[in-house]
Amino acid sequence: MRRSVSFVRLLVVALLSIPSAWATEPDNIFGVDLNDPAALQESTRILAEEIKLAARPQTYVIVDLVNRAVVIKGRGTELHRFPIEQWSAAHLAEASTTFRLQARPPVTRRRIEPAAGDDQPPVSLDDMPTDFTLVFSPSLLIAVHPSATDDPWRWLQFTVREWWRWLKNWIRRLATGQEPPVQPVLQLTLTPHHAQSVAWSVTEGMPFLVRRTPPAL
Amino acid sequence: MTRIIGMVCSILIGVVLLLPAGSLRVTDASPVQVVEVDKATLHALQSRYRSLAKQLSQLMPAQPYIVVDTARNHLYIKRRDQIMLDAIASTGSGTILDKPGEAKGQWIFDTPRGEFMVQSKLVNPVWVKPDWAFIEEGLAIPRSTGDRIESGVLGEYALGFGKGYFIHGTLYPRLLGKNVTHGCIRLNDDDLKSVYRLARVGTPIIIF
Repeated sequence: MRRSVSFVRLLVVALLSIPSAWATEPDNIFGVDLNDPAALQESTRILAEEIKLAARPQTYVIVDLVNRAVVIKGRGTELHRFPIEQWSAAHLAEASTTFRLQARPPVTRRRIEPAAGDDQPPVSLDDMPTDFTLVFSPSLLIAVHPSATDDPWRWLQFTVREWWRWLKNWIRRLATGQEPPVQPVLQLTLTPHHAQSVAWSVTEGMPFLVRRTPPAL
Repeated sequence: MTRIIGMVCSILIGVVLLLPAGSLRVTDASPVQVVEVDKATLHALQSRYRSLAKQLSQLMPAQPYIVVDTARNHLYIKRRDQIMLDAIASTGSGTILDKPGEAKGQWIFDTPRGEFMVQSKLVNPVWVKPDWAFIEEGLAIPRSTGDRIESGVLGEYALGFGKGYFIHGTLYPRLLGKNVTHGCIRLNDDDLKSVYRLARVGTPIIIF
């Protein structure tokens, strides 16, 4: 009798320890409409790229414009998700590869004074910028900024900067008569806290994928 | 006159705000483009999508793995998407310490990001203090290794994940949840014990 009880216990433990993925078919991880060819095409492209990234010991980012989220992943598992409040983009048709981040957003690190004791504040999330531009190779720009309601001053700075960039391109086009080289540009509006978290989490050389909405394909 | 200046300023601000918006064509408010394909093509797309999703899920760690969130100072042990342990941790302070005698040499106290694995599991570990620990305290660097050894500061267990980085205990539990370490990951005694029990040599550690 005791033997059968312990056998049942063992069986229960064994059943509980079966990975959850065995129980649910992981065939629609993006929750994509399987009857929408354009969405399927894009999701398939992202999956093919992600498999290459997940096969290596690294973390990577998917900017998921369909589900409006910046997702940090490693080994195919989701590590963290930051919601995107709004986005806009140009030349996204060109953004169909893996992009490598050239540099982290700048942060002012504090220098330790030897023998100064424990009163030396560390770098924290609050030290990270809320308004920054990520530059990638091959060419892609992702500009992250807070919304006008979250931080009017930062938003204004960002808008003026974007205007200046537009004006420079326009003048160059006028002077040379040539179109500037096409560069995919993505603008993401995040809450200041999420923008700081993204700035904190990204590292130099980190791979990024952009999951585009059908009109951008 | 003031009115005219005000009007000109308003127009300029309006131009500043509106022009770049027009330069970005695609927005999340764009209408969805309809792509027509025949049934066979759609079926092929669906099959490829399912097959790739399966391939990706096979790359996910099958055994429990450790995730460290350095921004929020949390350590998780997960099995697939299920959280088995959520512990408050302390991670790297991100501060800089200059190397004496080197013009550009410096230590940056960040917890490394990326994927690692548990390389060693130690019971009652001792700390072999590196050079920076002495320099930070304003002390001379000892010549003998014996003078570098400090016991009882790392807790009961330590899990090494390469290049001198460890998950270990702390004498300062009040600092858990803050970025205060030199790159190692600190936990309280109970959480450290759980991590020691659940992790094996080879357990993946994903740090972001």
